[in-house]
Amino acid sequence: GSKGSMASTLGVLSDAERLFIVHGVQDDLRSDGRACEDYRHMEVETDVVSNTSGSARLRLGNTDILVGVKAEMGEPDPGRPKEGKLEFFVDCSANASPEFEGRGGEELAIEVSNALQRIFSSRSTLDLTALCIIPAGQCWVLYVDVLVLECGGNLFDAVSLAVKAALFNTRIPTVLVTADDEGQQEIELSDDPYDVKRLDVENVPLIVTLSKIGHRHVVDASWEEELCSLARLTVGVTQKGTIAGLNKEGSGSLDPESIYEMVQVCLFVCLFM
Amino acid sequence: MPGDSRRVPGPQESRSPHFYRKPEAHKNDGRRQDGRGPQDVRPVYLHAGVVSQATGSAYIEMGQTKVIAAVYGPREIAQREEFTMKGRLTCEVKFATFSCTKRRQHIQDSHEKDWSLIVLQALEPAVCLDRFPKSQVDVYITVLQNDGSALAAAITCASVGLADAGVMMYDVVAGCSMDQGTAEHGMVTVALLPSLNQVSALVLDGHLQQQTAVQAVKSCITGCHGLYPIIKDCLVTSTQRNIPTTGRQTGQPDANG
Repeated sequence: GSKGSMASTLGVLSDAERLFIVHGVQDDLRSDGRACEDYRHMEVETDVVSNTSGSARLRLGNTDILVGVKAEMGEPDPGRPKEGKLEFFVDCSANASPEFEGRGGEELAIEVSNALQRIFSSRSTLDLTALCIIPAGQCWVLYVDVLVLECGGNLFDAVSLAVKAALFNTRIPTVLVTADDEGQQEIELSDDPYDVKRLDVENVPLIVTLSKIGHRHVVDASWEEELCSLARLTVGVTQKGTIAGLNKEGSGSLDPESIYEMVQVCLFVCLFM
Repeated sequence: MPGDSRRVPGPQESRSPHFYRKPEAHKNDGRRQDGRGPQDVRPVYLHAGVVSQATGSAYIEMGQTKVIAAVYGPREIAQREEFTMKGRLTCEVKFATFSCTKRRQHIQDSHEKDWSLIVLQALEPAVCLDRFPKSQVDVYITVLQNDGSALAAAITCASVGLADAGVMMYDVVAGCSMDQGTAEHGMVTVALLPSLNQVSALVLDGHLQQQTAVQAVKSCITGCHGLYPIIKDCLVTSTQRNIPTTGRQTGQPDANG
C-alpha cells in the first residue's frame, strides 16, 4: 500500500522560509528571481553512455537525470502480436538524497514510473509496429531505464524530457529475416554499425507539473517550493496540444476553477518547450 | 518468481480465451453497450458496516462493478520511530484475482500501487489527521468485480468506510469517472468533496483535446454532486441501524446518553 506524500521524503522547511516563499509567489517573484511560469536553465546531452542503444542526460536546475535505452529482442504480447514493447524502470539512486538509501526511494520511483506509463499508454505516442520483427514471433523490446542522480525538484518534467531525448537518440539495428532450408525463420543482424533505424518521437508527450502554492501556481518548482505546495497537477502534453494524461498529486485539494486555469497554463508553457 | 505455496500451480503458460475473441463493433448512435446515454450514471448501491471485524467498512455496487472497503484504526503507528503530530493514513487497493477479464496476479502490481496512491491522496484532504497524532488509520480496498469505473467506486467506498469507522472528516469524498472521445480516447476520474467543492483527485488516462478534457471534468463534478445524497442516505441509514432499539427495564438513563 501507499504511505506518504513525496514531500515528506525530501526534508523539512522552517515556517519562516515557507512564508517567505508563499509571499514571494503571490507577487510573482520566486526565490531565484524567476516568474511563476519560468523554467530553470536546462541542459540536455545525448549519446552519453556507450553501451546503450540510446541515452540522454538532462540537467534542470539542480535536478540531474540519466536515461539509458537498451533494445533487446523478445516475444511480443499475445494480444498485440504486431507491436513491440516499451518497459520503464526508474531508480532513485542513493546519490540523489540520503533519504533514498535502501528502499527509501522506491515509492518515489514507482510514482515516476506510473506517470511515464500513463503518458505512454496511448497508441498514438510511439509507433510500436515499427518495432516488430516477426509478427507473433519476435519484436524489439525497449528497456528505458531512468536513473535519478540528483533530485532538485520537478522530477516528473525532467524525467519526461530526458526520456524523450533518449528515445530520439535510440538506434535500433536493422534486421533481416530470412527463411532457411527447413522453412524456419532466421534473424540476421546487419554488419554495418551505421545501418540503423531511428524512432519517430514527434508525438511523445512531455510532462508539465504545476504546483499550487498559496493561491497561485508555479511551473518547475524547486525542492523548497515543492515542500510548500500541498497539491500538484502533472499534465502530459503533446506537441499538437493534446492532453496525454493528467494526475493530481499531493495531500491537498484543488478548486475546480483553478484546475481549468492550470490546464490552460500547462498547454501554454508546453508550447514554449 | 516466488511460488505461492497455498496454490497448486497450473500450467506455466496459460492464456485467457478472450485473446481469440473478435473485437466487438462499437455502436455509433451515441448510446453505450448497455443502452445508456453518455451522461447517464449507473444505479448505485451503497451499504455501510459490512465487515464486522473492522472499525468501519462499506460495500458499493455501481452497475456490475463491486468494491468493498474496510477501515482499521486509529491504531498505533506501525513503525515506532516515525513520530508525527499528524495522524497517518495508509491505503491499499487490490483487485481480486478473478475480478477482471484477464486473471490478475495475487501480488500487488504497479497498477494497483498507482491506484493506492491516488485513493490515498483523494482521501487525505477530507480526513482531520491532526485529531489522531502518533496513530494511523489503514484503509483496505478490494475490487471484487471490475466492470469499469472501479477507481471512482473505490474512492467513494473508502470514504463511506472511513465515515462508518467514526474517523473525523471535513467532508465525504465522492468519485465519478467518464470515458470520453471518439477519435482520441481518454478516461477521466474525479474525486470531489461535495460540500466544500474541492477536487481531491483528478486522473486522465489516454489522450484528449483540452476542451474535451475540461468538459469531461465538469461532467464528472456534476456526477459527484449527484452521488452525495446517496452517500448521506447510506450513512444515516447505517447509523439508525446501530442505535440500540431494546427498551431499558430499570428505566434509568443509559450511560451513553
